Amino acid sequence: MSEGAKTSPKGGGFQFKVRGPRDFYGGLALIALGIIAILASGELPGQHGFAFGPGTAPRMFATLLAIVGALVSVSGLFIDGPKIEAFAIRGPAYVLVAILLFAGMIRGIDLRIIGIPFTVPPLGLVLSTFAAFIVSIMGSTEMRWVESLIAAVAMTAFCIGLFVYLLQLPFQLWPL
Amino acid sequence: MTDLLANLALGFQVAAHPANLGFCLLGALVGTLVGVLPGIGTVATVAMLLPITFGLPPVGALIMLAGIYYGAQYGGSTTSILVNIPGEATSVVTCLDGHQMARQGRAGAALSISAIGSFFAGCVSTVLVAALGAPLTSLALLFGPAEYFSLMALGLIFAVVLAKGSVLKSVAMVLTGLLLSMVGSDLETGAGRMTFDIAELSDGIGFTNVAMGLFGFAEIIRNLEMSQESREIVQSKIKGLMPTRQDLIDSSGAIARGTILGSILGILPGGGAVVASFAAYTFEKRISKNPERFGRGAIQGVAAPESANNAAAQTSFIPLLTLGIPPNAVMALMVGAMTIHGIVPGPQVMTKQPELFWGMIASMWLGNLMLVIINLPLVGVWVSLLRVPYRLLYPSIIVFCCIGIYSINNSPTDVVIAAIFGLFGYWLVKHDFEPAPLVLAFVLGPLMEENLRRAMLIARGDATVFMTRPISAGLILVALFMLALAMLPMIRKRREEVFVESEN
Repeated sequence: MSEGAKTSPKGGGFQFKVRGPRDFYGGLALIALGIIAILASGELPGQHGFAFGPGTAPRMFATLLAIVGALVSVSGLFIDGPKIEAFAIRGPAYVLVAILLFAGMIRGIDLRIIGIPFTVPPLGLVLSTFAAFIVSIMGSTEMRWVESLIAAVAMTAFCIGLFVYLLQLPFQLWPL
Repeated sequence: MTDLLANLALGFQVAAHPANLGFCLLGALVGTLVGVLPGIGTVATVAMLLPITFGLPPVGALIMLAGIYYGAQYGGSTTSILVNIPGEATSVVTCLDGHQMARQGRAGAALSISAIGSFFAGCVSTVLVAALGAPLTSLALLFGPAEYFSLMALGLIFAVVLAKGSVLKSVAMVLTGLLLSMVGSDLETGAGRMTFDIAELSDGIGFTNVAMGLFGFAEIIRNLEMSQESREIVQSKIKGLMPTRQDLIDSSGAIARGTILGSILGILPGGGAVVASFAAYTFEKRISKNPERFGRGAIQGVAAPESANNAAAQTSFIPLLTLGIPPNAVMALMVGAMTIHGIVPGPQVMTKQPELFWGMIASMWLGNLMLVIINLPLVGVWVSLLRVPYRLLYPSIIVFCCIGIYSINNSPTDVVIAAIFGLFGYWLVKHDFEPAPLVLAFVLGPLMEENLRRAMLIARGDATVFMTRPISAGLILVALFMLALAMLPMIRKRREEVFVESEN
């Protein structure tokens, strides 16, 4: 997130300063979300006669969201607030990759949708769980291999015991 | 009165069925198990454990979920007392005196008073839920679409007013939640709304994906940032689990007052349990003869908020069961679970499925009893759980959530959607936005839109219908009043801040 807009001078000697960056940029993002929603629901038929169309309520709430977002943003301009805390990259990135890996492995995925000519076969619950565990634990700076491998095996066994045997949910366990 | 007894008897018949007893016990156990983990609050616990209840019969599933809820809350207090890490807002005040007591070697007394207080509060509020259930349900039958819409608007306003932080930002979260709930096919025409031509979105965004993402994944990602070394577990052996006679005498008044305060505040839509525990603590401190003892290990400081939050947790079922309107985020999760089981929450549940309604109420009491019986002896187990390093804990929670989400529809896309909401939740935290109003609005969204559309259609497009029907007008006025009340001090405080700033 850019916090650089602190003292960029604006014309007429007026000092432009974002006092509450959390509110200011948060509000801007909400305005964007509202505008995206308005555009996305733009084609839907609106009110006809007394009845709401499918597009009426989404456009109504999206417009309100954009307005409230603007108010939040403006309040960030004038009211002092704390800085935006730095976003951690390492931990969230590993966690995200682990979750996506699980989603891709469990039923297989055709990677051609992202331009890689390769199809991952359905790998089943056991391998997906194990892989997701190992990848997400790699996000920790205190990771130790032996301990992690043991924990991964234990957690995989626990999940299979719980979901497959105790709850009797239909899962494919191993690669086809 | 005889009706009430007959109904409760029916309820206990259902709840005492061995399978349901088992679900209740299991729920209370796993709820405590997850709730004990530091940094994981009640909402996150319930969200994470939702999928494991989906395979059960509806009554069993709801009984188990209720058990999970109480368990999570109880687990949270245990962590607050022993580690001084509140899992969530309701336990913050328990930390103050509870942890002090633990450091003075009175952890056992703090834990048992918290259990006894919770149990007493649970008994009282169970009867209250049963007694208020029937009259409120008949009130609900007077409601038309306009009244329902206004009532839900009131509920959302309460959630906004009682949320931490800026009122404006909570309003923004409510609107975001409403908007997200509209993704997918339109109820009346079937037109795809805001789906961006993605086939998986045509059914709408799954509620569990949102809840798991915002509360499960986001909380993990956020916790990863914090240093895990600051954990300070009370190392000494916990001895003397039973409170002394003096402890019981000291805390009995606090428990009673906490229960009353909690029961009242729990019924109100919004943050129920959080406000209740804060209010009970403050009240207790104010009427105390020696308020200076608070914060230094006063047993009343544990007894009052713990009773209050448990009472509120239970009475918050009242609006859900009678009006079908979830007053807080946990109840929103319950609505999600009910919907997945094909139960539409509302007044008709009591008349059409009395065994479900009364079974759940009776199981509340049983759940509380179980917490006292199983948890006190198991304190040692929970403590050892607290010693599991976070680096092993968080990958376990991640994979558990992944499997849980996937198992609902066997859909990998759901897992990806939850991951996106996880990142969104992380971003929200960085910008001081509260996710709870968003989830509440997300659940209420479809109901609200449906009632809004119906009300407008019946009134032939006349928007003043919300102000001309008396009940609806009353609800709207209360909502506006609350909003104004919340905005006023904010504006005043902000202005003071600005003044202070300009003087420097």
